[in-house]
Amino acid sequence: MFLQTQGITKEFGKLRAVNEVSLAIIKGDIHAIIGPNGAGKSTLFNLITGYHRSTSGKVLFKGEEITHLPAYTRCKLGVTRSFQITSIYPKLTVYESVLMALLSHRKETFNFFTSAKKFFKEEVWRILEDVGLADQANILGDSISHGDKKRLELAITLGTEPELLCLDEPTCGMSTEETDNIMSLINKLSTERGITILFTEHDMSVVFGIAKRISVLHQGTLIADGKPEEVRANEEVQKVYLGGTS
Amino acid sequence: MKRGWWLILLLALAIIAPHVISEFYLVILGEALIMSLFALSFNLLFGYMGQLSFGQAAFYGLGGYTVAMLITKLQFSFWLSILAGVGVASIMGLIVGYFCVRLKGIYFSILTLAFGQLIFVIIFKWHNFTGGDDGIQGVFPPGILKIPIVYYYFILVVFIISAFILWRIVNSPFGHTLKAMRENPERTEFLGIHIARYQLITFVIAAAFAGLAGALWAPFYRSVAPSYLTWIKSGEPVMAAILGGPSTFFGPVLGMFIMTFIHAYILGFTHFWPIIMGTIILIIIFVLPGGILEFAKVKIKERQERGKLTKGSS
Repeated sequence: MFLQTQGITKEFGKLRAVNEVSLAIIKGDIHAIIGPNGAGKSTLFNLITGYHRSTSGKVLFKGEEITHLPAYTRCKLGVTRSFQITSIYPKLTVYESVLMALLSHRKETFNFFTSAKKFFKEEVWRILEDVGLADQANILGDSISHGDKKRLELAITLGTEPELLCLDEPTCGMSTEETDNIMSLINKLSTERGITILFTEHDMSVVFGIAKRISVLHQGTLIADGKPEEVRANEEVQKVYLGGTS
Repeated sequence: MKRGWWLILLLALAIIAPHVISEFYLVILGEALIMSLFALSFNLLFGYMGQLSFGQAAFYGLGGYTVAMLITKLQFSFWLSILAGVGVASIMGLIVGYFCVRLKGIYFSILTLAFGQLIFVIIFKWHNFTGGDDGIQGVFPPGILKIPIVYYYFILVVFIISAFILWRIVNSPFGHTLKAMRENPERTEFLGIHIARYQLITFVIAAAFAGLAGALWAPFYRSVAPSYLTWIKSGEPVMAAILGGPSTFFGPVLGMFIMTFIHAYILGFTHFWPIIMGTIILIIIFVLPGGILEFAKVKIKERQERGKLTKGSS
């Protein structure tokens, strides 16, 4: 099993944000976690990527327990994430931002004497071209459009050459057109680079078009898990989630 | 390339200067170089790591005291004493930094201030070991280094080598990581960077160069005093960086030169130096908020872009 959570639970005071969730993610899949706002999607994400520590339960990555590892170690093992509120480098250029990720992943950050600019030119350009930011390479992070910032964060995460890429609401705040673009980009990354992708989403139409597996969270509990058609047919899912919208 | 010409010009000036100016101003020039090195060490933390240290003078003072004590009490070799000064400052930097890098923003500043004052008080009170408020006199460099102009060239060489090393560090992958951590620590941590470790290393490097500056100063001035370790001394590189521009590499150097020379000049006819300095800082903060060098950089860039535009349209 590629990534697995076993009865993972997170409590904030008396609130159980994630309640004994056991989830399995298969290598190479595009796996979506859906659920209404407040269902615990982001918290589950934070438990997997090391932003929060679980109250109980385990997280396993490629068979090894990573429950208590700090975020930076998980990243080194191959688990990288994006944030729901886009997290980029406002005063670094697009190019420099992606370069940072590559320097970190390829273990060059303890080099004190060579110019950083000399490293990984090809790799950075390849990523920028893949996500469609090559023409904005020398612009500062905070000077590009919202949609491009989302792309930039995706480009930065690609710099760590992840095996599992966790995207927290990758289409948050985007127009329909931008959403379609990002989704086809995610699809491309999955097929061309063989990256396993885990993402959260609240817009159903987006998820069913692309995800190979879907997990549904409701009030911190996993209520359904499986192929899109199975999830769609699930009665409980229809009741708590899809009922209102479809 | 243009920047290269500036550096060569400045270097030529620094080499010629001692033959043109009086001995009084030669000492001031040496002081300005040493203090500039101190300011560069501080700006590694402030400008590049993004944390304001208010205790950097402790490492400067430790460097100076180590050299002074080794030379006067143990008749240690001058060169070994300088090395030892750097070593003591680095080890202290490792200990103090271990605690400080866990904190951010104002808490980092306050803790560096507290540690700085702690080290100051130990040196100030431990009379029979450090000489207390008498300081230590008679710190002589060996041989021809006793001649101020020779010692000045020695300072110049050490300054150039140190500045070059620091320049390489801030432009290296390590320096790039520092900037990324300053811009967005969370994002950087989630790229696999153990933030505290990088900050600790930076803190030690900064302490080492501050220690080197102090170690150079003691034999130049022939003495050390506990006032070198106070928070007032720690404030000098802060002001120099703000004056010259903390986001530029040479900003703190420019700031320190301005401060040192205006100070020396003004003391000739008034003791109200802090009023003058305060006014200058006030003006800079309101008129040129990024510091002098940052302002100049922006202006030059604007001009170049305007140049490109007019060329393109004609």
